[in-house]
Amino acid sequence: MPAVELTKAESLKPIPFGTGYKLIGHDFSTNDLVAKVTGASRYAEDFRAEGMLFCRLVLSPMPHARVKRINADKALAMPGVKGILTPSEVPGHANYVNDNGTMIKADRFSELALADEPMYQGEPILAVAAVDELTCAEAIEKIEIEMEPLPFNTDPLDSLRPGSANAREEGNVWVPNPPPSRESQLAAVKWTDEDFAAEREGKLPMGHAPEEWSYGDLDAGFKNAALVLDETFSTEDVSHQCLEPRTTMAFWQNGKLYLYTGTQSTMQTVPAIARWMHMPEDKVVFISEYTGGGFGSKITGALTLVIPALLSKKLNAPVMMRVSREEEHFIGRARPGIRARTKVGFAKDGRITALDMFLVSDAGSYGSNGDGGACGQITSLLYQPPAMRWRNITVATNTLPRSAQSAPGGMQAIAIIEPILSKAARKLGVDQVALRRVNCPEGKAQYGPPGPGGKRAYVTSCYLKQALDEGAKQFNWSARVARPKQSGTKVRGVGVALSCYHGGTTGFDGLIVITPENRVRVYTGIGNLGTEAFVDVHRAAAEILNAPWSAVDIVWGDTSKNLPYSCHSGGSQTIHAMTRAGHAVALECAQRLKEVAAKSLGGQPVDYEVANLRVARKGGGAGMSFAEAAKAAIKLGGIYDGHDVNPAVNMYTKHSVAGHAGEGLVASATDNYPHDGDSFSFLACFAEVETDVETGKYHITDYMGYADVGTVIHPAALGGQVLGRSVLGMAHAIGQKWVIDPQYGITVAERFYTNKPPTILDVPVDMKWNALNIPDPETPVGARGCGEPPVGGGCAAITNALAEALGDNIFQRVPVNADTILTSYEAGRPMQNPFLAHI
Amino acid sequence: MDFITWATSPWGRTVPEHIAWGLIWVAVLFGLFFMVAHAVYVKVVVPRKVAHISPAEAARVPERVPRHSLAARLFHWIMAISMFTLLVTAFLPKVGVQFNWVLYHWIAGLVFTVSIIFHIVHSSFVLDFWAIWPDKTDIRDARSRVLRFFGKAAPAPRRFAKYPLENKLYHGAIVLAGLAVICTGLFMMKRVETPIFTRNPYLFSDMTWGLMYVLHGLAGVSLIGLIMMHVYMGIRPEKLPITKSMIFGWMSRDFYLEEHDPERWAVEGQPTAQSKRGLAASDAD
Amino acid sequence: MAVIRDVMPAFDLLQPASAVDAQKLLETYGEDAWVMAGGMDSFDWLKDRIKKPQVLVDLSGVDELKGIRTSGDGVEIGAMTTLTEIAKDPTIRKNYGLLAEAVEHVASPQIRNQGTLGGNVSQDARCWYYRGGWPCYRAGGNECFADTPVGRNREHAIFGANRCVAVNPSDSAPALIALDAKFVIQTPKGERVVDAEDYFLGPEVDITRLHILKPGDLLTAIRIPSTWAGANFYFEKVRDRNVWDFPLMNVASAMKVSGGNIEDIRIAVNAVAPRPMRLTAVEAAVRGRPANATTGEMAGKLAVQGAIPLQFNAYKIPLMRNLVKRAIGGVQETTWTS
Repeated sequence: MPAVELTKAESLKPIPFGTGYKLIGHDFSTNDLVAKVTGASRYAEDFRAEGMLFCRLVLSPMPHARVKRINADKALAMPGVKGILTPSEVPGHANYVNDNGTMIKADRFSELALADEPMYQGEPILAVAAVDELTCAEAIEKIEIEMEPLPFNTDPLDSLRPGSANAREEGNVWVPNPPPSRESQLAAVKWTDEDFAAEREGKLPMGHAPEEWSYGDLDAGFKNAALVLDETFSTEDVSHQCLEPRTTMAFWQNGKLYLYTGTQSTMQTVPAIARWMHMPEDKVVFISEYTGGGFGSKITGALTLVIPALLSKKLNAPVMMRVSREEEHFIGRARPGIRARTKVGFAKDGRITALDMFLVSDAGSYGSNGDGGACGQITSLLYQPPAMRWRNITVATNTLPRSAQSAPGGMQAIAIIEPILSKAARKLGVDQVALRRVNCPEGKAQYGPPGPGGKRAYVTSCYLKQALDEGAKQFNWSARVARPKQSGTKVRGVGVALSCYHGGTTGFDGLIVITPENRVRVYTGIGNLGTEAFVDVHRAAAEILNAPWSAVDIVWGDTSKNLPYSCHSGGSQTIHAMTRAGHAVALECAQRLKEVAAKSLGGQPVDYEVANLRVARKGGGAGMSFAEAAKAAIKLGGIYDGHDVNPAVNMYTKHSVAGHAGEGLVASATDNYPHDGDSFSFLACFAEVETDVETGKYHITDYMGYADVGTVIHPAALGGQVLGRSVLGMAHAIGQKWVIDPQYGITVAERFYTNKPPTILDVPVDMKWNALNIPDPETPVGARGCGEPPVGGGCAAITNALAEALGDNIFQRVPVNADTILTSYEAGRPMQNPFLAHI
Repeated sequence: MDFITWATSPWGRTVPEHIAWGLIWVAVLFGLFFMVAHAVYVKVVVPRKVAHISPAEAARVPERVPRHSLAARLFHWIMAISMFTLLVTAFLPKVGVQFNWVLYHWIAGLVFTVSIIFHIVHSSFVLDFWAIWPDKTDIRDARSRVLRFFGKAAPAPRRFAKYPLENKLYHGAIVLAGLAVICTGLFMMKRVETPIFTRNPYLFSDMTWGLMYVLHGLAGVSLIGLIMMHVYMGIRPEKLPITKSMIFGWMSRDFYLEEHDPERWAVEGQPTAQSKRGLAASDAD
Repeated sequence: MAVIRDVMPAFDLLQPASAVDAQKLLETYGEDAWVMAGGMDSFDWLKDRIKKPQVLVDLSGVDELKGIRTSGDGVEIGAMTTLTEIAKDPTIRKNYGLLAEAVEHVASPQIRNQGTLGGNVSQDARCWYYRGGWPCYRAGGNECFADTPVGRNREHAIFGANRCVAVNPSDSAPALIALDAKFVIQTPKGERVVDAEDYFLGPEVDITRLHILKPGDLLTAIRIPSTWAGANFYFEKVRDRNVWDFPLMNVASAMKVSGGNIEDIRIAVNAVAPRPMRLTAVEAAVRGRPANATTGEMAGKLAVQGAIPLQFNAYKIPLMRNLVKRAIGGVQETTWTS
C-alpha cells in the first residue's frame, strides 16, 4: 500500500489511477451490471407471491388537520376489498433497544406511517387492501373521512411573522435542549415588525435565533477588511425524486416477516423495520438487491414500509404496496431550503477576514433537521474564515418531511457562500480561482467551533489546492477568462466553486468465505442503491488476497444469506468505511489461510503467502488452493470455518458468521484502524454558461469536476459519482423546485414535468472529471467517499458562471430560470422575491 | 333532481358550487304555469268589474292621472334593460348559447345595482316610500276577497291604492331576489377580471362562497320566473294602462277611478287625508 | 369521499377502424365518450381519475387518419399522424419547415413518437391547479386559483384572461396558424373546415374547452395550403428544460419578403393566452416594411401592448416582445469561434 506523509502535502502531484495496484484504480464491470442492463434485476415492485393483495394509500388533502372519523363501511362491503389499515393500528412511538445494544429513544414529534393528525398535505392517513389496485381505488373513493382543519404554515419566514400560524400545536421553531442533550423542543417564536424591516430592502430579516456558535474575533475581522459584503440568498427545497419509489412488498411465513423494498442499507434496515414494527430483529428477513436511487432518503428504507407489513399480518396474505409517482413526491423526502444572510469581510487579496452567517432553515413537518448545522460547519471548513459566527433558526412548516439529501447542509452552504466569493473577486479585481486558492483548506484543516475541550475538529487530509490548480489547468481557466464575453444576444461566463462534504466513517465489519469450490465469496450488507460502491469496495479485499476478480463472488441484498454489519450506502461513507472493513477482513482471511496451510503443510503461517487463489510457501514450494484450504478449514472447525467467531465483530456479524459455519474458511473482521481526523472529500468545480439575454434561456456549455477523494478505487464509478452528483447540484441551480399554493398549503407541482429535475439535454454532453488519486493518509486503502461532495460545487459553479456573464444583480435565490434573468437583467436589480417559499 | 351542484374543494371537502342549471327550466315552467293559470283564472273565475263612478267623483279627477314621474320611469326601464341583460348573459350560456357573457353580465350588474340604489334613495326621499308596501287595508281586503271567493260572507273589498296588493307582493319578491343577486354579485366581482377590484377569491371560505353562488343562482332563477310574470302582466289587456303609464307617466281617469280608490291614492290636486305610515295606516294616499 | 390518483378508472374501450365509425361512436356516446389520439394528454387525466368517461374511443386503429398526403394545393396531414413522422417528412421539411421545427420542439422523442398532430392541437391546458383536480372555472367551478393574491402563476396568461388564466400549451398550433392551416372536422351535421385560429376557443366563450370540438365532433385532418410554402419561417420555443417541457412561450412566423421588404406575414404566439394568439395588428404594422431589426423592434413593442401580467409572470412581456422581434427581424447571431 502506498503511504503518504502529510508534511509533503504541498508537493504532492496527481498520481495516475491504479499505480501500484492490480485491481484498485482499474475499471471493471460490477456484478450487478448485466442484470440492470438486461432488465433481469428485480426491484421491490417486480416480486410476486401467491395470493398477493395490493394496497393503496389515502393521502391527507389538508396540510394540517385532525382525522375525526373514518367511515369505510361502503368500501369494505365491496367485492374484492380485503381490509383497511388505520393510524390506530400502526405501532406508536416507543423506546427501542437494537441488537447493538443501542437505545433509540422514542420521539413524540416524529412521524408514524399513518397519521391521525397529518402535518402535511399528502401524508398517508389510511391504507386499503384489495385484490387489485383498481378495486383499491374504487374502494377509497367510497370512504368518508371527516377531518378538522388545523392552523398551518408552509413558509418558514412567514411562520416567524407576528401573529402568524404555527405549523404544529407545540410551536413553530426547534429549540435545542441544553447540552449534553442533542434533542430539540418545539417552541413558539415570533419576530417583531422591527425585525422584519430589513425585508423591505431585500435583506433577510434577522430576529432571534436560538442556535449560535462563533470563534475568532469577528469585529476585528470586519474592521480590517478591504471589502465587506452583506448578502441575502435562498436555496430551494428539492425533493429526492428517486426513480424507484418506496414500493414495498411484505408477507409473513412461520412467524417471520419477509419484506422487499429499496434501501441504502441491507443490514441496517433490519433494526429499523424491527423498531417500526415493534418486533424482534431475528424475525425480520429483508430482501433488497436493487434500489433505484436513495440520495439519503432511503438510508434504512422508508417508514411507510410497515404499511404492507401490517396489512399482510392483519389479512394473512402477501401485500404489495406500489407507490405512485405522486405519492413518492409526498412521502419521498426532500432537502430543506435555507434562507441565508451572510456578511463576509475580505482582505485585498480576497482572503476572508470574517464571516457572519444567519440562517432560517426549513425543517418541514417532522424532525428538527433543517440542515442549518451542517451548513455552518461546511462553510467553516471549505472557506476557512479565521473568525466566524453562525446563527440558525430551524422552523417547522407544514411541508413535506425533510431528510438528508446528498451533502445535506453542505450543498446549501456552498450555494450560499460561493456567489459572495464571486462578487468579492469582481469587486476586488482578483481572479476567481486565485481568490478561492487563498481561502482553500489544506492539510488537516480545522473546522467548526471549538469543542468542549477547546479544540476545533479537523480533517484527515485536504489537497484541494492541488485539485483547484490541476482543475484550472485542465479547464483552461485562464484562456476562457480572457475570451470575449458578449456576442450577439449571447453573454457567457465561467465559474469556479469549491466543494466538499464528509467522506467516510469507520468501524464496520467484513465477512469472507473461501469456499471448497475455490471461490472467494464476499458477503456485504451495504445497500445497492446504484452507485456501484457496494461492489467497488471489495476490490480492496481482492487486492489484499491477490485474487483474480473473476474468482470473487459478491453476496448481497438478502439478510437470510447472513450478511455482515456494514455501513449504509449514504453519507459518502461506503468507499471509505468498507474498503477499511474489506482491508481488515482480507488481512484476517489471508492470515487464516496461512494458518490453515501451516497446519496442513507444516511450517509457520508467516512462511506462507497468498496469491492467485493459492496459499503457498514464500519463494515456491508446498501450497494449497483456496478450495483445499476451505476444505481443510472445515475439518479444522472452530475459528476457521465459522463455528467460532472473531470476538471483535459486531453482534449482527456474529449471527451471520454462525450462519455460514461449515461452509468453508470463514473470516470476519472489524475495522479498528486508527483514524485521527474526520474524513472529508473535496472538489474544485468549473463551469461555463451561455445566456441569451433576449430570452433569459441559458445553457451549461461545459463542466468539470476535479476531485480530491484519496485513492481512486473504480475510475468509471468515481466519474459517475463526480458528474452524477454535480448534475444533482446543477438541478438546484437550473430548475428543480417545489410549488406550493400557500392559501391551501397544497403542492401543485408533484410530477416530474412540473418539479423539473434536469434532463440529459440540460447538462453538457461531454462533462469532464478527474481526481488527484493522492491517498488519504489515515485510512489503509487511502480512499474516501465521493457521493455527496460534488453537489454544492455542481450548483455554485453554474450560478457563479451566470453571475460572471450577467452581473451580480440578477438573482438572490436558486433555481435561476429564464424568468429570473429576463426581468432582472432589464431592471438591473434582482426582481424575484428572495424569500417567498415554493414559487 | 339535485338542486345544488356540489364540488370537491382543494381540501377534499364537499362544498356547494352553484345551483343545478336544471332549475332554469323549473323557473321557466313555473312562469309559464303562472301565465296559463292566471289567464284561465281571469277568463273563468274573475267577474267582470262594473264600475260605479259618480260624475261628481269623476269631475274631481283630471283626465290624465299622473302615476310615474319621469325619474321613476327612467329608473324602471334602465333597471329592466339591465335585468334583461343580466338574465340573458347569465342563463343563455348555461343552455348552450356561447358568447363572451361575463363582461356584459357584470357591467349590467353594476348598472342594475346603481339603478336600485337610486331607486331606494328616490323612493325614500322623493316618492312615498310606503306606497309599495302592503297595509292593513290590503290585508283586510285580501281576506275579504278570499272569503268571498269561497262563497263566504265578507265585506266588499275596497278598490286599490296606488298599487294593488299583488303588485306590492310582487315588488316584495323582486326586492328579495334583487337584493340577493346584488349583494352576492358584488362580492362575486372579486372573482372575475374587472377594472374595479383586484381579484381575491379568498375573502370568504369555500363554503361561504359556495352558498353565495347558490344564493345568487337561486335568486337568479327566481328572477326568471318573476320577470316572466311581470312581462305577462304587463301585456295583459286589462293591465295595459298600467304598462302605458310606465311609458307615458299617466293613466286615464276612467282606469284610475275603476281600479283605484281615490281615498287611498289621491291624484295631484286632490285633497289628501293625513295618513300614518306603514301597516298601521289605512293607506289613503 | 377520499381522493386517490394514479389508478386508471374502468371504462369501455372502443376501437373503431374507420373515421366514420369513430365519429358515430363519439356522436352516440356524446358527453360520456373520451376521444384518445396518442394518449399523451388523456392518460394523465384518466390515471388521475379526474376524468371518468364511460367509453374511451381509441383512434389508434383508424389508419385513414394517419399519414401525410400531398395535394394540388398543399398537404393534408391526418390528425393521427405522429409528430415524429411530421418532423421527418421530406415535403413538410422542404416546404413547411416551420411545422417541422415546431413539432420537433414538442416534449421529448418518446412523446413525439406517440403523440399526434391532432392531439397536440387539441390538448388541454396544463395549469397545475386545473390538472390537480381543483374545482376551478375550467373544471366547471367558480374560481381561478392561479389568479389570486397568492396564486402560483408563473406559466400563466398575460393576454386573453377571462376568469381562467391558463394558457394553451401547444407548440404546433402557432405554426399551423402562421401557415394558414385549415382544420377538417367531422361533425354530426357533416364535414366542417375551419381556419386554424378559429379552431381554438378562449374562456370568454367556453371556459371548459380550449378548442371548438363538441361531443360528437372528430378532428380528422389538417390541411396546409401551398400559400406559404417555402416562405421565410421562424420558430422559437423558450422552455425551462431543453427537452420534455411545455413552452414558457413560443412564436411562429411565415414571411414573404420581396426586395428586403415584408410583402406578407402571418405570425402567432402561444402560451401567452388561453388560445394561440395570431398577432394581426403586428402583421398589419409590418407589411411593406423592411424585414430588419428595426421593424422587429417595433413589432415586439406593438405585440405586448395591452398585456396584463400576474404576480409571477411579468417576464412574459419582455419575452414576447423579444420573440416577436426575433421572428421578424431575426436573431443577432454570435460571432465567437471558441
